[in-house]
Amino acid sequence: MTEYSNPQIPEGINISAEHPLKDFFLMLSAISFALVLAVLLLSMFAGQLVRFIPFSVEQTLTENLGQWQLQLPETDSPDEESAAATLPDDEQALAQSNTEKQVYNARVEAYLQQLGNHLLENSKRPLPVALHYIDSDIINAFATLGGHIVVTRGLLTILPNENSLAMVLAHEIAHVQHRDPIVALGRGLTVGLALMCITGNGDGAMAQQLLGEVNLLVGLRFSRDAETAADQAALELLLQHYGHVASADQLFQYLRRHQGDAPIEWFSTHPLHDQRIAMIDRFAAKHRLAQMETTPLPAWLQISGHSIN
Amino acid sequence: MLDIIIFLVLLALGYGFGRWAEKKHFASIIEREELLRGLLTFSGRFPPQGLGPLETVLVDGNVVISVDYFKRISAALRSLLGGRVTAYESLLERARREAILRMKQQAFDSGASHVINVKLETASISKGYGKQVGSVEVFAYGTALIPQST
Repeated sequence: MTEYSNPQIPEGINISAEHPLKDFFLMLSAISFALVLAVLLLSMFAGQLVRFIPFSVEQTLTENLGQWQLQLPETDSPDEESAAATLPDDEQALAQSNTEKQVYNARVEAYLQQLGNHLLENSKRPLPVALHYIDSDIINAFATLGGHIVVTRGLLTILPNENSLAMVLAHEIAHVQHRDPIVALGRGLTVGLALMCITGNGDGAMAQQLLGEVNLLVGLRFSRDAETAADQAALELLLQHYGHVASADQLFQYLRRHQGDAPIEWFSTHPLHDQRIAMIDRFAAKHRLAQMETTPLPAWLQISGHSIN
Repeated sequence: MLDIIIFLVLLALGYGFGRWAEKKHFASIIEREELLRGLLTFSGRFPPQGLGPLETVLVDGNVVISVDYFKRISAALRSLLGGRVTAYESLLERARREAILRMKQQAFDSGASHVINVKLETASISKGYGKQVGSVEVFAYGTALIPQST
């Protein structure tokens, strides 16, 4: 029986003595670090590579979307509901006012397009832009794929003159010229796809998010550098067109005063920072003229609340 | 945001209860092992020489221990990096020792002096999620030798 015995086995020989939390956080930080690094690298490469996509492809892409139907969330749209309840006479009147509205909107769009083209006149081989007008109270303007630029009625109401409108248009035009929309989209899609691959979250949730990214042509976010570059280019365009940059900071001044107001969607896509205003002021100071006449907006533009305050 | 809060709460609960249960379980294992030290167990197939007349009976012990949420996440992270899955080491250690203890208890109750030919089987019980491990089962079995006083 000497060869058979059950010796006392020391405790803990099969288990690592390391504290589970320490192990956990070490692993977590290592993986987070690698993930952040990978996303940053991918985003950088995507941003560089996506510039090789020809502008014509962008245009075809947005062309395939069919009619330009960007639906901004409407704050009030009682027209359809009340129309059903009203008398035929009223319906007719409503239809007439609707066509009038369409004519008016087309006229605004043509005016915006004309102003945009004027701004681009002096540029060498500019990418073409297409301007659109949306009858919405929301204060916003954005540039997206294919050189499409959208301006809302809400924005027009807060601008005191054509110069300030030109500044906004020039800013968005600069985004198009710098190809910021496709860069933003390319980056977003690449990072989204990479995260989807890593997390293996292929059960629709992530894919839906990815599709959302494509649908969010309206809310493409540009980097802070891209915004600054667009501001700079916009000031140059303005200077070429008017000979001065008076009123260029009107919108920013307005936004600064009304920061946090609900209908101003501009903030979600154009983060405001004092650096931008300071940059415009510096540029303006450099190009100050004795006589700086601002061009008024056309009188037919039916906008309420003309005064900027 | 809500997802993250739920995740963190589950993680904290998993860690808290998991640690508490593990500590308690180890204390109980050590205590009972000491009580059953007199009962010898071997993996050899043949009974030791000179035990006299014997009656043999199959004894077994079975235990299922669930993986807590913290361990599962910890192991998932480890699967990305490679290396020792320390989160599961203590889990399997507990399951093994508990299964052997239950087997020994059964042998002790039937008046055995030895258990020979002891073997262990393990199985992971997944909850139908494919790769995900829900709980681990360890089954210990052997031949108990009961001395016969003729």
